[in-house]
Amino acid sequence: MIWLTWRQFRAQATAAAAALAAFAVLLVSTQPRMTSLFSASGIAGCHSGSCAGLASAFLDQLASATPFSGHAFDPLPDGFDLYPFVYTLGTLLILAAPAIVGTFWGAPLIARELETGTGRLAWNQSITRTRWLAVKLALVAAAAMAVTEAFSLLQTWWATPIGRAMSLGGSASVFSGNRFSPLAFATHGIAPVGYAAFGFTLGVTAGLIIRRAVPAMAVTLAIFAAAQIMMPLWVRPHLIPAQHATVAIGRDVTLNNYTVTNGGAPRFALTTGTVPGQPGAWVIASSAVDRAGQPVGTIPAACVKQFANSDGGLDCLGGQGIRMTVSYQPASRYWALQSAEAGIFLALAAALAGFCFWRFGRRLG
Amino acid sequence: MTAVIETEGLGKRYRRLWALADCTVSVPARHVVGLVGPNGAGKSTLLNLATGMLAPSAGSIRVLGAKPAAGPAQLARIGYLAQDAPVYAGLSVADHLRLGLHLNPAWDAALAQARAARLELDLRQKAGTLSGGQRAQLALTLAVAKRPELLILDEPVASLDPLARREFLQDLMETVAEQEVSVVLSSHLISDLERVCDYLIVLAGSRVRVAGPVDELLAAHHLLSGPRRPGDTMPAGIEVISASHTDRQSTLLVRSSGPLLDPAWTTSEVNLEDLVLAYMKQAAGRGERARHLEVQR
Repeated sequence: MIWLTWRQFRAQATAAAAALAAFAVLLVSTQPRMTSLFSASGIAGCHSGSCAGLASAFLDQLASATPFSGHAFDPLPDGFDLYPFVYTLGTLLILAAPAIVGTFWGAPLIARELETGTGRLAWNQSITRTRWLAVKLALVAAAAMAVTEAFSLLQTWWATPIGRAMSLGGSASVFSGNRFSPLAFATHGIAPVGYAAFGFTLGVTAGLIIRRAVPAMAVTLAIFAAAQIMMPLWVRPHLIPAQHATVAIGRDVTLNNYTVTNGGAPRFALTTGTVPGQPGAWVIASSAVDRAGQPVGTIPAACVKQFANSDGGLDCLGGQGIRMTVSYQPASRYWALQSAEAGIFLALAAALAGFCFWRFGRRLG
Repeated sequence: MTAVIETEGLGKRYRRLWALADCTVSVPARHVVGLVGPNGAGKSTLLNLATGMLAPSAGSIRVLGAKPAAGPAQLARIGYLAQDAPVYAGLSVADHLRLGLHLNPAWDAALAQARAARLELDLRQKAGTLSGGQRAQLALTLAVAKRPELLILDEPVASLDPLARREFLQDLMETVAEQEVSVVLSSHLISDLERVCDYLIVLAGSRVRVAGPVDELLAAHHLLSGPRRPGDTMPAGIEVISASHTDRQSTLLVRSSGPLLDPAWTTSEVNLEDLVLAYMKQAAGRGERARHLEVQR
């Protein structure tokens, strides 16, 4: 059965290996330039005051760097930012890999056998349908998880200097957010393994229920995309109950929705992306509250003038006792959250596989 | 006589439609059994139930004394050639033989190789490019080389041209003679069955209409023709299976245990085709009446 699985899966496995190899070549060939820029940046020996500046300078430099500098031949077109491109490409590949394996490996696994009738050949050899499914599921799911995680590990290795620069407070718009940002979180750590297992078994299940490969592929893609969107929006922030803090209005506070016109009371809203004393924390929600802890959205009369002069508005709010309430996940919970997210998807995958065994062993018609 | 397939009130329902209902049949061992009936009679459903591809909605079925597809051992005892002889289009002939080798502990590699050579199958050729006849031969090779006790063939020649059909059946006959395997073969082409089967089961409207060794069936049925005599009844021991009338003449197909003595009739031999068609017609007539009753209720 292992032989048959391999024989039927050979072409897909080769394609995946080729894609992985191409990606690896791209990363390995562009990595040395990044490493040398990083060593030259002086980040390694920075002091607490200088780190953020040096890190930002490194990221800016990297954004427009080319591994061909100093070479006579530079094949890259002018204005093409290679490093941000590779960074984004990697993220997209890791996001797409589970959807691709679910669609092209999972959905046709049973559906194609039913559709072409070859199942009646395969399931009448001296081997039970349950065993046929067990070997297929185990081997192809393992391949799906391995390929997805390999993409993720390659990207993580390649982006190590970028990650270090960002953790030191460096910022550059082209390298998005910290490791808790929705895309970064789903594409690093062990989460990709969970996504791959889920995507693949989802495809197999859809194929078994729908019994036709192409509609099953479409359904797989739709459900997987929905899961991928719902996870960071509604599930991930609550995997572990968030912590809360009330902090003074600081440098990182952003003023939003600020209006003093339209006749009504002048309104404002504040958000912040950091929690003092919690470097690298994931801020889930933040808003302004008054001394009593009640939300405020109206600019106190005493501060309207400062806002109108666009000078010292925030300081004035602080003087009126307005503070920020923040709910966040501490950076130390990164791996706990990763495990929880991977665990949820692995559990979903196991449930789907269980359903497939039950349904497939029982009947085909 | 031991049975290779034994069903009791067997039924299979798809949503609200019964593809096979209340079917009780006993298929004897050591025969080449022809399962014949009109399209939609439930032949394929019955065979799919026998291989465990489908699970019954009602009743019971035992194949070689056990539940179909109950485990690897049971699967190994039955060779199944599904309708339209499915093969993997992307795999070569050699790959298919390797598939058989890997998935069947009792695989007879020498037999498979010899068959492939005799049938002039190119081992490197992709199965998707084989002709219909070659594809059926390859599928039969897979079913035979696992050394089954029972070979189930579902409409094996329906999609073949007459020459390929003849070659396939001839090869099947040789294989059966060599291997002493029981065979159940479904078809709606009676001429094919005539050539290979020594036992016949006519299935129509889910029911077994007649079953028995072919030579006994032929000996017990007669075609009578004579002047039309309305309201006439046949003596005891003679059952009219089908009757057709013109203004002056009647033609009857009857089953009789003893000799026919009435000199008014001209008696002649029946062939298998007449016999099967008579039973199908009879079943269709009863079906009409049954449907009619349902409407009245």
